[in-house]
Amino acid sequence: MQLFLESIGFGIVTASVLAIAGVGFTIQVGIANMFNLTYGTVMIIAAFVAYGCNAAGVSIWVCLPVAAVTGGVLTALLHRGVFRPFLRRGTSPFAMVIVTVATGFVLQYTLQAIWGSNYYTYRFSRGTTHHLGPLLLTTAQLWIIALAVLLLLAMHLLLSQTKLGKAMRATAADPDLARACGIQTDRIAAVAWTLTGALCGLGGVALVMSTATFDFTTGASFMIVVVAAAVLGGVGRPSGAMVGALIVGLGSEIVAAVLSPDYKDVVAFGLLIVTLLVRPQGLLAGRGAATAGQVEVLGS
Amino acid sequence: MSSAMQFYVSVILIYLGIDLIACWGLNLQYGVAGVVNLAFIAFQAVGAYTAAILSMGPAQPQGYQTYFIGASLPFPVPIICAVLVGGVLSGLVGLVALRRLRSDLQAIVLLVFSLVATDIATNQVGFLNGSAGLSQIPLPLESLLNLTPLDYQWFYVGFTAVACLLAFWVVRRLTGSPLGRAMRSVRDNEYAAAALGRNVFAMRMRALIVGGMIAAFSGALLVPIVGAWAPSSWLYGETLVLFAALLLGGRGNNLGVALGAVLVPGLFLEGTSFIHYTARPGFIDAVQWIVIGLLMLLVLWFRPQGLLPERPRRVDLAPSLLPPSRWPWLARNRLAERSELAGRPE
Repeated sequence: MQLFLESIGFGIVTASVLAIAGVGFTIQVGIANMFNLTYGTVMIIAAFVAYGCNAAGVSIWVCLPVAAVTGGVLTALLHRGVFRPFLRRGTSPFAMVIVTVATGFVLQYTLQAIWGSNYYTYRFSRGTTHHLGPLLLTTAQLWIIALAVLLLLAMHLLLSQTKLGKAMRATAADPDLARACGIQTDRIAAVAWTLTGALCGLGGVALVMSTATFDFTTGASFMIVVVAAAVLGGVGRPSGAMVGALIVGLGSEIVAAVLSPDYKDVVAFGLLIVTLLVRPQGLLAGRGAATAGQVEVLGS
Repeated sequence: MSSAMQFYVSVILIYLGIDLIACWGLNLQYGVAGVVNLAFIAFQAVGAYTAAILSMGPAQPQGYQTYFIGASLPFPVPIICAVLVGGVLSGLVGLVALRRLRSDLQAIVLLVFSLVATDIATNQVGFLNGSAGLSQIPLPLESLLNLTPLDYQWFYVGFTAVACLLAFWVVRRLTGSPLGRAMRSVRDNEYAAAALGRNVFAMRMRALIVGGMIAAFSGALLVPIVGAWAPSSWLYGETLVLFAALLLGGRGNNLGVALGAVLVPGLFLEGTSFIHYTARPGFIDAVQWIVIGLLMLLVLWFRPQGLLPERPRRVDLAPSLLPPSRWPWLARNRLAERSELAGRPE
């Protein structure tokens, strides 16, 4: 029972990390109508940059904004330099998958060429252990959860309350119509990619802080859970990604504690398959979304 | 030729033949039917594991490797079983991955399947000996033929060549048939194909199953010659090498794909193994993978149809089907115009 409760604590931390990453991923699908499979690798690139700062003696919390900037700039560059040119040419969605996989591959192995295949660890104090009811959490874990809540709240407010968020949602729903209404969809898309890239970078550092070690493949394998969380909640829906993150995060940590930590990804895959078989439009999709993977309007 | 050189050349030829078979299988899925099977290598692995455990005999209780089933069946049976298992597993995966999904999400589900399959094979030690994998896989017919190792290599080259011809014959029959045409119509425009009465799911499923069987066949041929098979032999990057070969050679065109199979896995990956470079371990590998990724991007950008593009297929309408013309001498042009429309836009 103690093990079970501890795994719930871990699950909440994993879910927080996954929610930060998943919301960014799903917004990208909404904005550009494509799956960006470089996402996991960009997360880890940001984590490596943060590692560089951290190794130089800077506190990891100060490195967070650095990682956010790295993720944002890199994602914006990828969008500008790779994805958008291909999309403008009318590259088919399934060819776009190959484009993003190939790009992710190039990035991932550039990391290996630079950093080698070693495992790295951040230097930071995990703080004291706190008893929250039955849960045991370290100070660092509490900060990760707080960071996730803060970021998701900010994202929600941005999408629902600001003009920029409204423009992003309009661009996601119908780019042509949005342009006809005077929205500069190109600029909005660029802003959206940069913002989600920042989320991606923050997610990367949070991931490494919660799992302790990482190498150049960590990001690619984390994509499994990100995709599972995004599909579970309904692709293109930030709120769906949050719910998906909670289910996948808790589910995988509980199984890790009860069975074996080797099966975390298998649980995510199982949840993904069940979702695709039973409710391919995702948990939170409305009645209208009959086809699977139909991208929903952001934030609706 | 020295015997070491002969050995090397024969191994290269065998690998090339196996890559050809694998590329034709993937071409059937991606080039012809438009199924982006990013888990292709997992099906090759299934064939390899099946052929291995059915020829290695039961696992020794005190042995260093553990695996399930374990039998020593006579020569063609392990390969046939591998092909069947590959087909059945492709069907099962297709039931989930191909149903009611947009094509890019299908590809991602298959990619995730590949990653998770590696995960399971690595962590379930009793299943296929975990990350250490299987080793000491016997060569088919070795004891029966009683050849020297070098002669056996050349025998296997011939065997692979026959297998290649068989695979090419199957693929060629399929792509040239009305079924192949229907698959291409699904690839080019699934909605139009569905509107004309084609069952999009069934078309993709057939391509996935037949391609999966060919993948398993290539794996079953590969595993005895490698002699060992572990999760690290079939990481998802290997699928990308095959995709790079397809894209460079010309997807949809069996001969183009063959050219790609010679250029990418053959020349490119084998060729760079001659480079002696005393950098960090893994550095050369990393550079190879980077170049594979860049190659795919560059081909997709500069020559998406590949070096030997798929030839556009034109269906000439019978003149009697054309509306009567007041200027019969123009009918030829009209016919040509229609044929142009019937050809593929790309």
